[in-house]
Amino acid sequence: MNAGSIEIWRQGLWDNNPGLVQLLGLCPLLAVTGTAVNGLGLGLATLFVLVISNLAVSAMRGIISPEIRIPVFVLVIATLVTVVDLVMQAWFSSLSRTLGIFIPLIVTNCTILGRAEAFASRRPVGDALIDGLAQGTGFAAVLVVLGAAREIVGHGTLMADAHLLLGDWARALEIKFLPQQTGLLLAVLPPGAFIGLGLMVAARNRMIRSRAVRAEASAHTDPQTA
Amino acid sequence: MLKTLLTLGLIGLLAAALLSGVHLATRDRIASEQQRQALATLNQLVPESEYDNALVEDWFNAWISGLSAPSTIYRARMDGEPVALLADVITPDGYSGDIRLLVGLTPQGEVIGVRVLEHRETPGLGDQIELKRSDWIRQFDGKSLAQPPAQSWAADRRGGAFDTLSSATITSSAVIEAVGNVLAWYAANRENAFEIRTESKDSSTSETRDGNNP
Repeated sequence: MNAGSIEIWRQGLWDNNPGLVQLLGLCPLLAVTGTAVNGLGLGLATLFVLVISNLAVSAMRGIISPEIRIPVFVLVIATLVTVVDLVMQAWFSSLSRTLGIFIPLIVTNCTILGRAEAFASRRPVGDALIDGLAQGTGFAAVLVVLGAAREIVGHGTLMADAHLLLGDWARALEIKFLPQQTGLLLAVLPPGAFIGLGLMVAARNRMIRSRAVRAEASAHTDPQTA
Repeated sequence: MLKTLLTLGLIGLLAAALLSGVHLATRDRIASEQQRQALATLNQLVPESEYDNALVEDWFNAWISGLSAPSTIYRARMDGEPVALLADVITPDGYSGDIRLLVGLTPQGEVIGVRVLEHRETPGLGDQIELKRSDWIRQFDGKSLAQPPAQSWAADRRGGAFDTLSSATITSSAVIEAVGNVLAWYAANRENAFEIRTESKDSSTSETRDGNNP
């Protein structure tokens, strides 16, 4: 992997994470992260749509004039989401039942339009593919972490109902931390989503600041030791 | 300008072509999957070994007072004899809107069981109506309009005979009253409930209701 693609990965996963830094796609992000499995499901579906839409937009970038780019992006994204929805209903019907309401939500996810506009429409297909993977993975990671945190606090379980997404073997993934019905209800309700995401953004900011402080400190001390 | 418009139109056409292709390729499979899911839902209350008719196709619409209309009534038969009646009903009285229930009755009007198919009740409180979260929904098994009497089909917190989920009186009442309404409807239509002609599939509204709900 060359330096350029590593930089794209770093942007998607950390420096410019769609969920924590760009704060894009908050509507589906806050709505579905009641459990880790729901988060994972929407994360995977979003990742898939993001990769394909980045590829399509990048491949068409030569023939699309600036005036019509937004309608074209919207058309491409809506078409892709509908295709994903139909294919899932036909071949992954149990998955489609659990994720059914989230799939149309992907159309409203501005991360996808944002990446098409800011990245895919200006870069070659290869870069756009990596960007789709990186941004999608970054978004999915935020969804899973937030979903897991809310599930642990609110339900006292982790990865409950994983079999709906991953098949029967995944029943074994469920971990119970608390006896039934002892969780903190607030975490599962909508306010819990806002509080949880706020804490995640704050934690990220804190890590970056303490790293900056350390870097500054070592920059000051270095000349003396040298 | 003209070229721009042509490009946009061409991309629109391509998208339309892709979508119709995918629709044609998946249509039959989606329909059969929906059929299979509808059957799996019904088999929760009446196991496959207890009937021999095409359960999913043996249905009619009913207008039951107190419930969102129309309700879909499925009938299970063995050798032409009535085995069970399964009512797929929606009550609008939940704490957060509609609760969709499947109520199974014997031909004598006794409850076989009740299952919650869809709801948006509060996680941790109202969602205890789901069988996977608590056994609350099993309290209806074996009950009928005579046992307990019709006026007692209410939550105990409201003077009825049924257990109320703590902090979810509205949810509990909605479910209890919905089951009571189905029983009352059956009591009034007992003679012809197994005689009404099955409705044609093409004019079906309940088919789409069954299938498209995520």
